[in-house]
Amino acid sequence: MFNYTFHWRPALNALPQMLQGALVTLQIAVLSMVIGIAVGVVLSVFSSSRNKLLYGIYATWVEVARNTPALFQIYMAYFGLGQLGIRLDSFLALLVGITFNNAGYLAETFRGGLRAVPQTQTRAARSLGFNAYEAFTLIVLPQMFRAVFHPMTNQMVWAILMTSLGVVVGLNSDLTGVTQDLNVRTFRTFEYFAIAAVLYYLIAKVVTLGARLIAWRLFRY
Amino acid sequence: MKWTPLVATAAFLTMLTVPPAFADKLDDIIASGVLRCAVVLDFPPMGSRDTSNNPIGFDVDTCNDLAKALGVTPEYVETPFPDRIPALVSGRADVGVASTSDTLERAKTIGFSIPYFAFTNVVLTRTDAGIETYDDLKGKKLGSVAGTFEAILLEDDMKTWGSSSTFQGFQAQADVFQALSQGQIDATVVTSTVAFATVNSGNFTNLKVSGDAPYPVDYVSLIGLRQEYGLLNYLNLFVNHQIRSGRYQELYNKWVGEGAAPNLLIPGSYY
Amino acid sequence: MFHTAVSANDLWFLAQGAGWTLLITLIAMVGGTVLGVVFGVTRAVLPGWTTLPLGFLLDIFRSVPLLIQLILANSFIPILGLRATPFAVSCVVLALYTSAYCAEIVRGGVLAVPQTTRRAARSLGLTWWQDMTEIVYPMALRVMLPSWIGLTLGVMKDTALVGWIGVIELLKSSQILITRMQNEPLFILMIAGLIYFLISFPISRLGARLERRFREND
Repeated sequence: MFNYTFHWRPALNALPQMLQGALVTLQIAVLSMVIGIAVGVVLSVFSSSRNKLLYGIYATWVEVARNTPALFQIYMAYFGLGQLGIRLDSFLALLVGITFNNAGYLAETFRGGLRAVPQTQTRAARSLGFNAYEAFTLIVLPQMFRAVFHPMTNQMVWAILMTSLGVVVGLNSDLTGVTQDLNVRTFRTFEYFAIAAVLYYLIAKVVTLGARLIAWRLFRY
Repeated sequence: MKWTPLVATAAFLTMLTVPPAFADKLDDIIASGVLRCAVVLDFPPMGSRDTSNNPIGFDVDTCNDLAKALGVTPEYVETPFPDRIPALVSGRADVGVASTSDTLERAKTIGFSIPYFAFTNVVLTRTDAGIETYDDLKGKKLGSVAGTFEAILLEDDMKTWGSSSTFQGFQAQADVFQALSQGQIDATVVTSTVAFATVNSGNFTNLKVSGDAPYPVDYVSLIGLRQEYGLLNYLNLFVNHQIRSGRYQELYNKWVGEGAAPNLLIPGSYY
Repeated sequence: MFHTAVSANDLWFLAQGAGWTLLITLIAMVGGTVLGVVFGVTRAVLPGWTTLPLGFLLDIFRSVPLLIQLILANSFIPILGLRATPFAVSCVVLALYTSAYCAEIVRGGVLAVPQTTRRAARSLGLTWWQDMTEIVYPMALRVMLPSWIGLTLGVMKDTALVGWIGVIELLKSSQILITRMQNEPLFILMIAGLIYFLISFPISRLGARLERRFREND
């Protein structure tokens, strides 16, 4: 049945290199989430804007981000923008691609979350003397984040999974990139990618647990 | 008995997973009537696509000749460079006619025929990058297809330079040319045949060849599974016949250009 | 004047790629939904600890990048001595991947039906099967359907990754065209993106409308 001899030793020897890659993966995912949340909040505010331009930006962004593959978006960030003279290196192209995707999904999540915060909260804040900006950032946003924390955690896991696509635009420092580099030198595909799969699983679990811990600290009464 | 279903299941699974071991790959190919060649189609003139997106090139024609010799129909399995060997190992292709350099590292995984072509490598760069020789690559943004002969040599040299040059490993040759033309990288090292074909294709107006890369001659072979001696033996004889019948020279003139095809004899050595 | 080397022939080539994208999506959704319903109902009706191994297994499919799953499956099948085309590998991996998400949707849907309703049904003399098909199914469906449509769209977009193991689907066919006409990647990518959008957008609108209608009736 097994005509194949597994070579685990050289694969396990590469573990330090792969852990280094895992750090880069985590770094890209976190960065893309932080920027994605910021952009997502802005877009969700645009969504209720009466200004046609702002609403247009929101609608286009969200629809393109949600209706085309992430791989396509990353490809666009690298080769598409490249043709327009905007040259991003692989790392930046991946970051831009994932952030674009994150922001699109998060904007819709936030829009739902904002609806869950009763109008009366804003009115109460305004009548207590908060200006519109303060009412939004100090009263509405914190309540919204509580409502959308779970979908946000999911999006973070998605962001980690999406970083694996950087390899198509020449990124070789993240976990998948490092693994593929090892693979094309030795062609022990299964061994290296099996280790990568375990590492991805662990990263996803650590992030989910971390998010639960944060939620527990932030949102208990 | 309690165990009967279990035993039956186990027997069934074994039946599923053990392929009949009597016929070797060469028999399988002849019996199936189809030869599945792994070819690289972003590597003109060795392999590319015509305007109706059909595979063409030196490698494609070589695959056709091999299929004809075997009396079967050729089928092309397109693989980017890093995917050639996985395609063979995973059984998606029977042989690789894909300009595969015969490195010792790869020979741990797959089997090589005698060389069927030979390349020399040159520096391909953008006209505005200010690179005239191989030495000018120091400190520049470089890239190549991950894991290829020239990529490994380039990366080795970069280690000895120790300067601030960066290396990007792509998953397809086309991506390297694209990134070079757009400016994400400044130069690459690639086989001279392909470099000139690419510059002359008219697709890129801003690329040029800047001198030779000081690498040994890059002999490329047909590849098959390591343990398929019958097939590898056939491939050796096939390459030999291509050369002695003059077909090798003919295909060279058809796809690469005027003049004599590269000498495949390794000086001062047997093969 | 805008000039392009993209011909009608090339558009047909892209359309064929889109055909593969749709076919793989269809197979993955059918397989994934059947498996997902089985897994999801199992997870919802059996006591929690008995289904922990299943839950763990499904969680793996949701926590490892699909690209890695495809590469692993593609390299493991020949290790087993089996032969499979990239198309078959893609369908199987995507169906399992889909089932992992679908199971969560189904579990959520079943658990969203109030226990009291189900007890009432049983005390009115309905069998377990009748309770599942006549009470739980219609009530859970309204919770599940919008997410299920979202999943379909997700899987359709995820098929872009099967190009890596050698299936010439939509995105891969656009890359093949770019290889030939290297001076217009942006234009070719835009066409591919537009095709994805045209497939995905109407379905996502439908999903949003269903969701709104269900909410109104609550």
